[in-house]
Amino acid sequence: MENLEMLLMGFSVVLTFQNVMVTMLGAVLGLVVGAMPGIGSLAGVALLLPLTYKFNPTTAIIMLGALYYSNMYGGSFSAILLNIPGDSPAVMTALDGYPMATKRNRPGQALFTSNLSSFIGGFIGMVILTFMGPALAELGLKFGPAEMTSLLLVAMTSIGWLVGESPTKGVILTLVGILLATMGMDTLTGSPRYDFGNMYLLGGIPFIPFVIGAVGFSQVLKLMTERNKKVDVNLTQKLTIKGSMLTLHDVRRLVPPAIRSGFMGTFVGVLPGAGATTGAFLGYAAQKAFKSEKPLGSGAIEGIASCESANNAAAAGSFAPLLALGIPGSGTGAVLLGGLMMWGLNPGPLLFSSNPDFAWGLIASLFLANLLTLFISLGVIPFLIKILTVPVRILIPIITVVCVVGSYSTSNSMYGVIIMFLSGLFGYVLDRNGYGVAPMLLSFVLAPLLESNMRKAFIISNGGLGIFVDKPISAFLLLILLAIVVTPVVKFILRKVGTRKQ
Amino acid sequence: MQLKKVTSQMVIPVVTAVIAALFIYLGITKYGFWHELRGPLPGFFPTLIGVALLALSFIAFLGSFKEEKTTYPIESWYPALGVIAIMLATLVIGMIPSLALFVILWLKWYEKYSWKTTLIGLAVIMAIVIGAFVMWLGVPFPKGIIYNWIAY
Repeated sequence: MENLEMLLMGFSVVLTFQNVMVTMLGAVLGLVVGAMPGIGSLAGVALLLPLTYKFNPTTAIIMLGALYYSNMYGGSFSAILLNIPGDSPAVMTALDGYPMATKRNRPGQALFTSNLSSFIGGFIGMVILTFMGPALAELGLKFGPAEMTSLLLVAMTSIGWLVGESPTKGVILTLVGILLATMGMDTLTGSPRYDFGNMYLLGGIPFIPFVIGAVGFSQVLKLMTERNKKVDVNLTQKLTIKGSMLTLHDVRRLVPPAIRSGFMGTFVGVLPGAGATTGAFLGYAAQKAFKSEKPLGSGAIEGIASCESANNAAAAGSFAPLLALGIPGSGTGAVLLGGLMMWGLNPGPLLFSSNPDFAWGLIASLFLANLLTLFISLGVIPFLIKILTVPVRILIPIITVVCVVGSYSTSNSMYGVIIMFLSGLFGYVLDRNGYGVAPMLLSFVLAPLLESNMRKAFIISNGGLGIFVDKPISAFLLLILLAIVVTPVVKFILRKVGTRKQ
Repeated sequence: MQLKKVTSQMVIPVVTAVIAALFIYLGITKYGFWHELRGPLPGFFPTLIGVALLALSFIAFLGSFKEEKTTYPIESWYPALGVIAIMLATLVIGMIPSLALFVILWLKWYEKYSWKTTLIGLAVIMAIVIGAFVMWLGVPFPKGIIYNWIAY
């Protein structure tokens, strides 16, 4: 009950005219940017981050939450109408969304199914977050430096190891992100290090220009090869709000898979490295075990509902470790965490007790953003074709300019633009060679926390490694770490043995 | 034995290995690794990470021989040239005129759009820059040498 009281207190923080307007603005921007071709949620949140500077910290964080959350809605639009998933969780949505829009000639209903399922999944995720977040934080309070070190190693390794095509490349970028974050000032003694005599580097590499470059500007460079792609719109009817309404029978088909996937997606979202994409895949796979009125893959409402609900629930669920332990579950979560830190907020076990306004305000704003995004996403249906078919050739100079002004505005100096430019080139070259940048962003954000905890643990143990295995929680986490590292290696060996036998 | 051509897949682990070596070297020699009484010094953590990075870079380098060569389409670098041009032009005419010039040249000259589309694109971008960043966020964008000559 205490949690519900705190949530109501969070609503009292959120429900001011300014905060509601900001949530709405964040929802509209997140939705439009998430729907635009080739941008995606990671670059979308990074590019929109500078817009929060004007607000007080609570309002800024509320806007960030709305931006992040509504971005999750946007990715499915192009999957349904154009068969082009806007982000990776929307891959599964396209399987039934596109056939429902084209073969069954129900594009508006497919969009509404996606929106309503996202709302249901997100709502379930947020209710669970309301109860699980503080409980996880309470568990986190038992964590000393050794446990935190092990936990951070698990989080970083799981994302580096599991996301992307090569575990080695993922971990290399995780380590590069850590080293880049150590430049500037030593976190414990405050003495300068790795600044190479440069006064700008003394302050370290600024996070926002770094992330705008690594995901936003590198995306521009990638989009150059897609400039001449023609977008085919295969719809025979005009999209209207009235024509998108679901029948009672449709709603009856939608609700059970949306509820099932909502629960499943939330728990998947809590795991670092799993996130919305895995949630969507598992939600869809689980639906195969249940009855669907139309076969999955042929435009079944159940198919859209299961994956859309799961991916939004996972996005909500990922807030639990983010707020309670300070550990984001994805690249977008890392950008969000960087944004929270920029406002002096340090997510972690003490957050719920030391900054209840922030923590509960943010959770309440997610509820509000979920509801507002449902209505806004219905309102934008008539304009969706226009948004989705904005030529990439026009988007390229627009995103380039936003990258330049966004990175300049963080420090009011060209240093920000130079960092954005260099990290953009770096991110592009890495991407071309199969190195995804998400692990680097995550480790860049978490490195100071890892370093301070590791050094404290070594100070306590007088340099002994035993501290990491003597403590049961730390030992358990290290076992998980070992499993994460060993599993792909064992799989690789088994695959090799299998091919030799054949 | 025929030598394999140098590819970016090989260069990346070499670069990360050099970075790792630099961090290890400075960590040990300049910032310090361990103090008997004070425990880990500022170079301790980067050195440990550097050692791990060095080892993994070596593994990635060996693996890079099996990978196919990556190509870099020439047009992908054009926006990068655009940003360099914006940075240089900012010194002379200021950032906002440089951005406007970039958009006009890009849409009209490179993409060959009509003047109507170019001006609509310019209006959208300027609305974002001036509306959101100048008027709302109050960012003082650099005005360039020419403006400073005229104004002062």
